Amino acid sequence: MAPPAPDRRVADLAAAFVELRTALGRTLIGQDDAATGLTLALLAEQHAYLEGPPGCGKSALAAALAALSGARTHTLVFHRDIRETDLLGDVLLSRHRHRGHERLRRELIPGPLLQAEIALLEDLPRSPGEALGPLLRILAERHALGQPLPLESAVATGPLEQVEAPIDPLEPGQLDRFAVQLRLTGLLTGGLFDEAAVLLEREAARVPPRSADPSAADSAGAPAAATAAPRSAVISTGTPNRLEPGERRSGSRRRRGGPSSELGNRQPGEPRGAFSPRSAVMSTTTRNAAQRAAAALRIEPRTIDAYHRLLDRLRQRSADNSASGDRLMSDRSFSSAALRLVRAHAFLRGAPAAAPRDLGAIRYMVAHRLPEEVQADFDHILEELLGDPPKVTMTETGAQMPGAQSQGDDDSDGAAAASPASDSWIDDKADLPAPPTLFGKPPAPAQVDPLLRALVGRIERGRIDPDTDPGGQPRGYRPLRDLDELIDADVIEALLFAEGRLPGAPRTFERKRRSAGGAVAVLRDISASMAGRLTVWSSQVVLGILRVAARRRMRVGYVEFHHRALPHEVGGRLLHRSYSRLAEQAGQAKAVGQTNYEAPLRTALEGLRGGSGRNRHIVLLTDGLPIIGDTTVRRERQLAHRLGVALHTVFLGNGDCPPVLDDISLETAGLRFCGRPTAGGGLRLEER
Amino acid sequence: MTDLAPLRALLDHHVVGHDEVKTALLLALITREHIYVEGPPGTAKTRLAEVAAKGSDLDFFFYQLHRDTRLAELVGDIVLERRRVKTEPTDPAGSGEAERIHQRIEPGGLLTAEVAVLDDISRAPGEALNVLLRILNERRFGAEPIPLMAAIATGNPMDDEYYNEPLDPANLDRFALQLRVTGLIQSGAEDARLLIDRFAAGSVVEQPEPEPVTDRTTLDSLNRRMYEVRIGPAVRAALLDVLRTLVLEFECNETNSLLTDRTFLVKAVKILRGTALLAGRDTVELADLAALSWMTTFRVPPEAHEALPRVIGRVSRQVRAV
Repeated sequence: MAPPAPDRRVADLAAAFVELRTALGRTLIGQDDAATGLTLALLAEQHAYLEGPPGCGKSALAAALAALSGARTHTLVFHRDIRETDLLGDVLLSRHRHRGHERLRRELIPGPLLQAEIALLEDLPRSPGEALGPLLRILAERHALGQPLPLESAVATGPLEQVEAPIDPLEPGQLDRFAVQLRLTGLLTGGLFDEAAVLLEREAARVPPRSADPSAADSAGAPAAATAAPRSAVISTGTPNRLEPGERRSGSRRRRGGPSSELGNRQPGEPRGAFSPRSAVMSTTTRNAAQRAAAALRIEPRTIDAYHRLLDRLRQRSADNSASGDRLMSDRSFSSAALRLVRAHAFLRGAPAAAPRDLGAIRYMVAHRLPEEVQADFDHILEELLGDPPKVTMTETGAQMPGAQSQGDDDSDGAAAASPASDSWIDDKADLPAPPTLFGKPPAPAQVDPLLRALVGRIERGRIDPDTDPGGQPRGYRPLRDLDELIDADVIEALLFAEGRLPGAPRTFERKRRSAGGAVAVLRDISASMAGRLTVWSSQVVLGILRVAARRRMRVGYVEFHHRALPHEVGGRLLHRSYSRLAEQAGQAKAVGQTNYEAPLRTALEGLRGGSGRNRHIVLLTDGLPIIGDTTVRRERQLAHRLGVALHTVFLGNGDCPPVLDDISLETAGLRFCGRPTAGGGLRLEER
Repeated sequence: MTDLAPLRALLDHHVVGHDEVKTALLLALITREHIYVEGPPGTAKTRLAEVAAKGSDLDFFFYQLHRDTRLAELVGDIVLERRRVKTEPTDPAGSGEAERIHQRIEPGGLLTAEVAVLDDISRAPGEALNVLLRILNERRFGAEPIPLMAAIATGNPMDDEYYNEPLDPANLDRFALQLRVTGLIQSGAEDARLLIDRFAAGSVVEQPEPEPVTDRTTLDSLNRRMYEVRIGPAVRAALLDVLRTLVLEFECNETNSLLTDRTFLVKAVKILRGTALLAGRDTVELADLAALSWMTTFRVPPEAHEALPRVIGRVSRQVRAV
């Protein structure tokens, strides 16, 4: 608990964090939002998860935070084979003679990660979930091996949930340990060409790295300073701090500046202009004092009211967008963590208490907690809620400008009238980067979900259980079978084994891989009767299948058909992995012509024939009877049966389902579905 | 010509054709970027890498990756250190002793090499490559910087005939330079004749050991000189225009491309400077932008990659006109 600090002191504390925020923003051009989010995370002592495409500066930003904050840091790069000892520490093996026999005990000694104030967890999702479980629990509890951790913030980075990355995405429950969730966009792919030009100019002026250390020439490799300031006190964190009435500060400190940049108001003696993120801008004492002060900040009652309304609104909107999948608004995050972030937000702008607009801090929490549509709309929802577009930003940081005159406004919302400052440190009106959706298309709405789920289940059947594979992820232990496996054995047991002290064989990793591969061909009827809504629905089904295929790295084929089959080949092959290209194609289909089942089935089967292995599927989407070609498709059914290809059929529309579709599915162990338009304009899907 | 002329001559001496790969290899050594060469078997990928590495007299690490590749095989041996520590008498029944066991890696392989050749990189499982490629990127292992200048990786095409998986995009991005090679005979190139003539003459001993023709000092000085190469506003504007065209016209985005800031805003500057230096200039010219197509091979959709020379030509004309 902090002693009631004099105002000036508190102002200095806030200034230090504003300085941190500014320096972070300068380290990485064009990532101001992330810089603010990280600053808030450290101030509120919350964990942060940074996600983004490769090479956009995630690691550099995290490393800069660690270096600038002067915190004792440990960086851990996650990979497939990470072990308990990497995460937690060394093993202490103790032997005790006990009544004539020997007792061996194995304990862990806290390693550098457990002694760090900031833990940088690079590429977190690259480790199998099994390995992460214990670590993430420790992070949340901030308590390990029987002692409290000095940990303030863990900053994890991870790749964008990308179609081709061989990773298990973190589960929502795991992600929830990270209160702050930020999604970075690249300057180029985000279309920020002005910022890109600035970065280019900076690179063009780059001089050779001073030392022989080649990493200095790589922006993404900015190393964390490992210097550790001696820690003054261990603070216990992770519980919501009580409001201490004694720590309430008077409003006199708060003042509103003009729309000037805080960059111009640097206090004398502070480091300025340095691009190098290697020198700390604050001491550990300052950092911890600021964290304590921020945690103790009062929250105005109307802020709490507004927060309840905001949560209602977010729940409501999320329910409307339920199709977007696993989203989580947990009590843990939205009580303690959220309010600490709100306090930190207020503290950072030098306010004596958290006003409703400090709820803006919640936007740094939503990347994985709300459906994408709702995230994109978050600022708008908040603005609406506050009844007034909160254009004003943080220029009233009294902490920054001790000389500025107080305007005497008591109501910080009243500041909304002030002119917006373009370069203030928190730009409330900046849009969240548009959340990336797979293939740049919105996810399929609810109507086609049951169909997709069933199809996905079938397509994935047999590959939910990963196969044992020596190159795969460690998924558990099994007994050693041959001495070659010793390299993969539990280290301590292998040691004891080598010394002849282990009664049996040491445990070794059981490695498994999800077998990638398999193939699915989508045959889509684009005959004239498919015009209108049916086209939209079938596009969604195709996109959904493509998404599944991409995740499982299955090859895909896409054939549109009317009276003829129109295969979309890439490089002369029907089956390929150009998912995005097919997705684009599927969005452009036009309905024309009549229906022929034979031609597309033949095309697809020919394409699948060359491949080997199981797990080959054809999905036939149609709305009508075949008119042209062999309407019984007898030969194709036989061929499919022989090849072991499952033919799934989906009939869309009001008419009667042609019996031939049933025959096709039954003979090849495929699924049968039909979708009927409803009066309300929806689509009702049922198994035939 | 630069100080690397002897190395180029050595490459020419040992391998017929493949001009672009040879230039790109020199570029990788000057700029200290990693290079990935993809092509069908028997197209001198590994040979080129080997000649470049040995000819520059650098500590050299060659590793053939396979589907069970483990980290330890690449970075050295895992050692266990045991240290006796005092125990607290927790067990009243008997006297105790304890050992602290620390697992660490005795640096070797990639961690001590100056040039690494990673053969058939696409055969290793993506999960295993992650940490390797991070080492390549940051050129440090844990807190220790490593002496690595350039890694040269080779791989087979991502077709179904070859038992490999496409490299993870994040991993592929670690290789600033990316080239695709085709066999001289397969593609019916002019040089194919030369190649056959050479072997027909019988005067060539197959696979002679390349002699060092340059050294680390030369490469270090070239690397310093690279940073003195000027890259003016016109070239910068042109580079940005090319990138803008890729994003806006060819719709390169996060899902279909690897148009990363690290590569195209940071590393591209180095590659352009290196290209100018290889051409014996101290200023980057618009013509040097052609080197960009060694960066886009596997980063943008094929149609955008193919169109790149055209885009560069158009942008260069516009910039010149201004």
